[in-house]
Amino acid sequence: MTSSERKEQAEAAKDRKATYGADIDLDEYQFGGNPQKMAADQISEDDKDLVEEVGFRTDQKGVSGSFAQFDNESILADVLMSQEGLEVMPISQALTKYDWLSDYLWNAVSVDTDKYTARSELESYDGYFIRALPGQKIRMPVQTCLVMKKKQFAQNVHNILIAEEGSELHIVTGCATPSTVEQSLHLGVSEFYVKKDARMTFTMVHKWNEAVDVRPRSAAIVQENGVFVSSYAILSPIKSIQTYPKVRLVGKNARAELYSVVYGTKDSVYDIGGSLMLEAEGSSGKVISRTIATENSEIIARGDLQGRVAGVKARLECNGLLLSKSAKIVAVPVLDASAEGVELSHEATVGKVGADQLNYLMSRGLTEDEATSLIVRGFIKLQAPDLPPALQRTIDEAVQLTLEQGL
Amino acid sequence: MYMTPLLEIQDLKVSIDGSQILNGVSLQFEAGKVYAVLGPNASGKSTLAKAIMGLPEFNITSGDILYNGESILDDNITERANMGIAYAFQIPPAIPGVRFDDFICRICPEYQCKEPEGHFMGKACSCRMELYDDFERLGISNLAYRDLNEGFSGGEQKRSELFQVLAMQPQIMFLDEPDSGLDYDSLKLVGRELKSIREKGTTTMVVISHHRYILEFLEVDVVYILQGGRLVYTGDMEDIPVLAEKGYERFLSEMKEAA
Repeated sequence: MTSSERKEQAEAAKDRKATYGADIDLDEYQFGGNPQKMAADQISEDDKDLVEEVGFRTDQKGVSGSFAQFDNESILADVLMSQEGLEVMPISQALTKYDWLSDYLWNAVSVDTDKYTARSELESYDGYFIRALPGQKIRMPVQTCLVMKKKQFAQNVHNILIAEEGSELHIVTGCATPSTVEQSLHLGVSEFYVKKDARMTFTMVHKWNEAVDVRPRSAAIVQENGVFVSSYAILSPIKSIQTYPKVRLVGKNARAELYSVVYGTKDSVYDIGGSLMLEAEGSSGKVISRTIATENSEIIARGDLQGRVAGVKARLECNGLLLSKSAKIVAVPVLDASAEGVELSHEATVGKVGADQLNYLMSRGLTEDEATSLIVRGFIKLQAPDLPPALQRTIDEAVQLTLEQGL
Repeated sequence: MYMTPLLEIQDLKVSIDGSQILNGVSLQFEAGKVYAVLGPNASGKSTLAKAIMGLPEFNITSGDILYNGESILDDNITERANMGIAYAFQIPPAIPGVRFDDFICRICPEYQCKEPEGHFMGKACSCRMELYDDFERLGISNLAYRDLNEGFSGGEQKRSELFQVLAMQPQIMFLDEPDSGLDYDSLKLVGRELKSIREKGTTTMVVISHHRYILEFLEVDVVYILQGGRLVYTGDMEDIPVLAEKGYERFLSEMKEAA
């Protein structure tokens, strides 16, 4: 698709409402910006505190590369000197450097999906490009962070991540906004490409505030024997988020696992989903969500498994825990099989903390609050078997921190 | 001289969902002794233990429970547990995401790690090592890293419950059918463990059971038999073989006649 064709398609879709989530008037926001490169030591102390809250290490210890973007203004992109086979750079720079990259742009995600993708294309954007070269096993994670500080502003990013054939790539990413920001919008398009025999894990922790709307548009394409694992935790209040990443398993024995943890607070509305399209022989996967709704929060947990060829296998779990009378959880599991011998299963539960569990723990000397907190912690614990232990810890720590403040 | 018993039940009436299960039970448990609470199915044995533990679905409609001479009816489960009352559940609920070994360390001060975090550079704390040794003694090493009660077999549930209750070092423990579903080897393990507690003499043990093996092995001091929500017989060890031979119905009717 040429650049002008893309613009044309985007133009045609620029008023198309999204299937899910409250509609946002994009004209209320200011777009644009021309990000300048910066070095790690140029990050202000306040910004350091903010990004570190979502797990970004400004000392860059234990990571193979880093990318941080502040509004649409400044960008940090760094690869550890000794790290071979890894590329981390602003997408604008990557698109200039590699002609072939335009084939990846709006390939996994369609530019005319809805008004958010359309507008994202029509406005100027930046974002990150991260690639593991063929055969390169990059064990230490690449860290990325997107920070939004300006008011009435739309942060518009487009990310492309590629794990080339036989490679291994781990990304840990955090998005954050200071608690003082008023009414802002984050549009994030992310396209993941996992090639033959490659593995990619993507671990994301979100920390927004009550005045921020977030509309990520993500999709992945996984080829033969490829593995894609996405773990997502949103633990802060937000005005609204609607996200529904879609994974296409197009190669034989491709596998994908999508985990999400939502801890709902205040008046926030979370519409979180995950979709797996099993298109190739032997492909398999899981979509697992654990949601906890407190205060007046509302959580919609969607899951969608589509089996298109015989013998594919996938599992969907949406488990919700209601901790407040005025909170709400809706679980929407969808299984769609259009071939013989497809094996899809789901489990959806929504409930409150069980009295029998509480009584049991209290009989071991815990107070009611301690018992509730232990049950909630256990419930929300994400156990993604393919996640490197360090990243599992990142998620665990973020969850624990939130629960300590919340319970 | 009258010694205040550790736990005294006075004319206790208990109902669940409006139907009365205990119809006025009075009995006592003295410090350091071993009791068997026996009786046919649905006689109220478990209800008695659970009401003493304070589980809220057991509604006490009249009577009193005195612990060291003071009523504990206003104390909740946590408070009763902290006073030294423990109850080993027959069917404990699963708590997903809470590892068995972590949980034990949480509830038992003696297994808690006293060293600051990060002190061990990947090595386990000595309290943990002790814990794993103790797990081994009860044959539950395989449970250490599993989620609490999640998918535990009947025998594993019994041993895990017993382990937890013992580790809490209570004043009085209620063991609700600690021997059901155990194979011979596990039965011996559990029996030996209980026997060693008895020999220390610091804990009152109340065993609810249908089987004579554990009771005889433990050499119980007092036997209480409940029937229809009432205490119908008080005896000792010597009654157990007779009971096993005759069954409750015949045993109790013969006792009635003799009286």
